[in-house]
Amino acid sequence: MIHITINGKVVECKDGEMLLSVIRRERIDVPTLCHHEAVEPSGACRLCTVEVTKPEWDGWCDYVTSCLYPAKDGLIVNTHAPKVNELRKSILDMYLARHPKSLKIKQLAADYGVLATSLETVVDGNNCILCTICTRICDHMGFSAISTVGRGHGKEVAPPLDMAPADCVGCLACAKNCPTDYIEYETGNGRLKIWNKEFEMVACTVCGKTTVTKEFAEHLSQQRDIPFEYFEKCDECHRKELSATMGKIANWEREVRS
Amino acid sequence: MNFRFIVKPELCIGCRSCELACSFTHAIENVRSLTRISPIDGGFKDLWVPVTCLQCDDAACIKSCLVDALKRNPVTGAVELNQEVCVNCMACVAACPFGCAILDTQHDMVVKCDLCGGDPACAHFCPTKALEWKPIEVKKKQAV
Repeated sequence: MIHITINGKVVECKDGEMLLSVIRRERIDVPTLCHHEAVEPSGACRLCTVEVTKPEWDGWCDYVTSCLYPAKDGLIVNTHAPKVNELRKSILDMYLARHPKSLKIKQLAADYGVLATSLETVVDGNNCILCTICTRICDHMGFSAISTVGRGHGKEVAPPLDMAPADCVGCLACAKNCPTDYIEYETGNGRLKIWNKEFEMVACTVCGKTTVTKEFAEHLSQQRDIPFEYFEKCDECHRKELSATMGKIANWEREVRS
Repeated sequence: MNFRFIVKPELCIGCRSCELACSFTHAIENVRSLTRISPIDGGFKDLWVPVTCLQCDDAACIKSCLVDALKRNPVTGAVELNQEVCVNCMACVAACPFGCAILDTQHDMVVKCDLCGGDPACAHFCPTKALEWKPIEVKKKQAV
């Protein structure tokens, strides 16, 4: 265990633990867009930048992304130094110019006092901030169906060759964890459409409610050794089934005792 | 000491105190959460079955989680869901054969019983002791 100072408070943490997780544990609000606990940090959004210094640095300080900076003994961290706030403001200013339609970015910018961008707005811009949460989660779950394509201005998240990805099972983890809700999908009539690929949902054999796609259920039952019939009923019908079975036993016990 | 969560459906009167206790205990920012336990009609007269997670030994939810968000707490024996790690893929909701991992649509997150970290609130509020949290004697396996 080592000791670091965050905003004047001495905090105990593990050696080499990333600064952001220590900051979050101390319940200090540092904005992030590209951070997700399930996957490795990437430092893409730059919003978690903090000021770090040490007594032996003679007053010099460094500005680092806290999600990628390991804690070292004696480190002095300032999460809301004036320069850090300026830095976040200019980053949000740029985000606002590039992605003017995103509600999340608008809110975050307003929190930091950026109500309108000072730069030229990209008119036909989309909401994708290239945080790569979607691709990292897809990789981590073992599908790797989507990735970033192209470079520079043309960089975007897409399936290979812009065709329906063969590896996608339609788990929707990418769309549900997108910080700016850029990834679109359509559901309805027991079908799901995402990344130009259509899926059939598993309908509950009792009430017809759908939870996951057939491909995802098949993947889980094959890879994780779960019987496929577990997926054939929805959670509510499963609970009713359990209560009916337990009810029979309880009724029998009640009759025996009375 | 080994504690167990004991459910006795024959004592349940379906008053739903457990639901309220659960909802309030797991509230997020003063907004009630979805209850993890609910008495469901057992199919006989005056019989309710409080249905909640059975904390299976070979749990399908743990097996189904592709990001290791579900882990067993070795002290309480409960399967706990780490909300920070969860990616809302609904695998556990679909995989649970008892339907006890539930999607809380209000907070847009998956919830399941975690035995309140070792002191279930529902057991405190049950008026008829249909739900109990008490120590049990662990019988040693006899040699054959």
